[in-house]
Amino acid sequence: MKRIVWLLALLAVGGMAFAQPKVFKSPNPNETPVYGGDFRDWSTADPKTFNPFVAKETSSTDVMDLFLPTLTGYNPYTLEPEGNLAKSWEIKNNGLTIVFHLREGAEWSDGQPITADDVIFSAKVHADPDVGSNSIKSFELDGSPIVWTKIDDYTVQADFPKPFAPALIQGWYIVPKHVFEKAYEEGKITEMWGVGTDPAEIVSGGPFMLDQYVQGERVVLKKNPNFWGVDEKGNQLPYLDRYIFTIVGDMNAALAKFLAGEIDLYAASDADQVAQIIERIDAGKLDASIFPNADVTTGTNFIFFNWNNEDPWKAKLFQNKKFRQAMAHLMDKDAMIELALGGLGKPQWSPISIPVKQFFTDDVAKFEYNPEKAAQLLAEIGFRTKNADGVLVDASGRPLEFRLATNQGNNVREKIAQLFTEDAKAIGVNVKYAPINFNELVRQILNTRDFDAILIGLTGGIEPAFSRNVWELDGPLHMWNYGPDFQSFEILIDKLMKQGATTLDQAKRREIYVRFQQVVAENLPLTYTVAPAYNPARLNSVGGLFDKDQITSIVGQYPYVETVFIKK
Amino acid sequence: MTAYIVRRLLHLIPTFLGATFLAFLVIQLAPGDFLTRLELDPSYNTEQIDNLRRIYGLDQPFMVQYAKWLSGLMKGYLGVSLSYQTDVWTVLKPRILNSMVLVGLAVIFVYVVAVPIGIYSALRQYSWGDRILTSLAFFGLAVPNFFFALLMLYFALWLKDVFGHEIFPIGGMRSLYIDGVDFFSAPKWRQWLDVLWHAILPVIVVGTADTAGLTRVMRTQMLETKMQDYVRTARAKGLSERVVVYKHILRNAIIPIVATIGFLLPGLIGGAGLVEVVMGWPGLTPMLLEALFSIDVYIIMGITAISVILLMVGNLVSDLLLAWVDPRIRYS
Repeated sequence: MKRIVWLLALLAVGGMAFAQPKVFKSPNPNETPVYGGDFRDWSTADPKTFNPFVAKETSSTDVMDLFLPTLTGYNPYTLEPEGNLAKSWEIKNNGLTIVFHLREGAEWSDGQPITADDVIFSAKVHADPDVGSNSIKSFELDGSPIVWTKIDDYTVQADFPKPFAPALIQGWYIVPKHVFEKAYEEGKITEMWGVGTDPAEIVSGGPFMLDQYVQGERVVLKKNPNFWGVDEKGNQLPYLDRYIFTIVGDMNAALAKFLAGEIDLYAASDADQVAQIIERIDAGKLDASIFPNADVTTGTNFIFFNWNNEDPWKAKLFQNKKFRQAMAHLMDKDAMIELALGGLGKPQWSPISIPVKQFFTDDVAKFEYNPEKAAQLLAEIGFRTKNADGVLVDASGRPLEFRLATNQGNNVREKIAQLFTEDAKAIGVNVKYAPINFNELVRQILNTRDFDAILIGLTGGIEPAFSRNVWELDGPLHMWNYGPDFQSFEILIDKLMKQGATTLDQAKRREIYVRFQQVVAENLPLTYTVAPAYNPARLNSVGGLFDKDQITSIVGQYPYVETVFIKK
Repeated sequence: MTAYIVRRLLHLIPTFLGATFLAFLVIQLAPGDFLTRLELDPSYNTEQIDNLRRIYGLDQPFMVQYAKWLSGLMKGYLGVSLSYQTDVWTVLKPRILNSMVLVGLAVIFVYVVAVPIGIYSALRQYSWGDRILTSLAFFGLAVPNFFFALLMLYFALWLKDVFGHEIFPIGGMRSLYIDGVDFFSAPKWRQWLDVLWHAILPVIVVGTADTAGLTRVMRTQMLETKMQDYVRTARAKGLSERVVVYKHILRNAIIPIVATIGFLLPGLIGGAGLVEVVMGWPGLTPMLLEALFSIDVYIIMGITAISVILLMVGNLVSDLLLAWVDPRIRYS
């Protein structure tokens, strides 16, 4: 009998030794987490699918993040690569080969082990052009494939055609091979895990698993008891029982729910919303906290000119650096923050977003609001006199005028464009501003090229190497100039972007991207305007959140959802 | 009569083809397609977008796309939604059911409120009650639905502040919890009660304009019928006022109102419009709007096809109802 007990104990210890859970660091060691409770999040759109090979928008991936694992991701405290399903890795062969070691003992919610087979299978499907996965770009580098091979059950290897700086960020979703394989072979993989699928059939490898989905109303996920994560004391995670997305019509409806205490976190979009939340907290009707201007978002708004304009006079003008600098001097960023962003935001001068601390620099050329300087620069390039309408003209008498467009319905951009238009008119630059439909705008930029100037934004990210489509000479979003003639600074930017993507040393990478920001800020292929503020708010009943000074707009209000809890 | 019905049904075919073709054409005329919004996303390559366009069949000529959709429809298949990558019917069904709850209740509300008010106003023409109800009816006709919905939300929030708890819910169709239990774990009758509670304010908003309109029609009809010779005859015969009003006046006055029931059919499925968006009711309109914004062709076409069929069937039903209640109308 005693022997059996010993054997069992040994097995238990052996089991523990084999299990290699991820330890999640909680943001605030003074808090005592408790188990149980529901976390109430919101979304303005329904998830479109639960199939990671089909998902195209955040309304779907926000849900998938909770139940599908990835190999690695960003550490929310340092923004350096961190293992998720991969517990460690080795970089070999000057960065051309990376060997990932998986967590042994990690299981899917149906009890099957998560192994190298699942990883290799998922990589194969993501890379298949006939599937149409959004992650396909993670499996090729400049046209050459990144090859994934299985070494043993818990080791996989990735071979890169050339060194790639973000190689350690492998954020594509891993799916259970035993569920998807048959459908893949039959060519029906995109039909799997649609919104009509019974939630019980959807297998989870993350902290939560799908419990119910009611179209247009809510997505409910419950705790996955098989999750491979623990807290610093070795307690099984997550703490929460359930994670609930309430689907609301728009931001205002979400705000109303937050004010009523029906959702746990919210980020106020403008000063008016901030005021409403503060007013309710002060009236004692809401037990919550708000941190206005805690950070700025990574979204950008910029104006650019069409260097390929069919009118050679305009093309030449837009290619002139002094002209673009003069235009930059006409952007009253303080007024834009005050009037377009309701007083909450920061001016932006260069392409890397302010919250991306590891690469961002403030040490760039800034062409601040100064109409006299603008007029002087315009005089230097030949616009010295005004015509009867008060518009500047060049030596041949041609007035300085161009069209400016932005996408209809974006209030912030429309106001920025109006402010710029007024300031430009004041010194005699006749800007003809008209908002147009977004799809029409895209068509003008990418296909017809019959525009003069456009105000638009691109979603910024944390990794500058992922914006190569914008900055490299042959990039499809090199929107201001599709060639064939390029200026020397554009060639320099192209070179810097290529270097940045292939340099592995972090300090050297920073140098490269600092230089990149300086070149862009000086030459203004895109002229940046203002970045909106990030104003996070939370109910005080939620624990496991960042303190005010730890909050960034990239990570959000908590480092890990696994360590979020509801105070009793 | 049978011949008439068959002829009407045959007429449906060209009408249906014309309507859906026009809808398909209009969608194609708008700039861009489902994938356009991805083109300005730095994380997509041109090849990737071209590949997706090929997979989704968006690279094919317009006529081919329409023919494919139509042939699918013949087999009772509405196509695959581009954004959901699943059968359109799977996506639409729950939305249609939700809309039916709201619109069904609103229709009952409209008739239950409008008919008695119309009768009252006609019988006591120019009394103070009639004047007040008339003013209210004009208000109901004049106020835009979406604005009324916002007022209602504000009202619900105000009630909550005054009483400290929710008298009416602030948007939505179902509570997250019923007495601390998850909605779907609660007993069925409690679930229904909860949906009804959520429906009160939206039903009032949806029903108000129609109630106001119908009240006026009912009143006019009653007044007109009251002057008829046969009503005088009935009174002269010595019938009681009750019998005169309900058997002779009402029975004749209500004919055009019964006929409009058929027109309600497409509305019943088509959803309650912007009220659903403002009040967070997960009906068909929010989904249609989303599909229009993302140019999800097959969702839009699915909704269009269903609406067109129902509109035509509704028209037919109205005509038949008219013949049934009014012996003077005959189709041959």
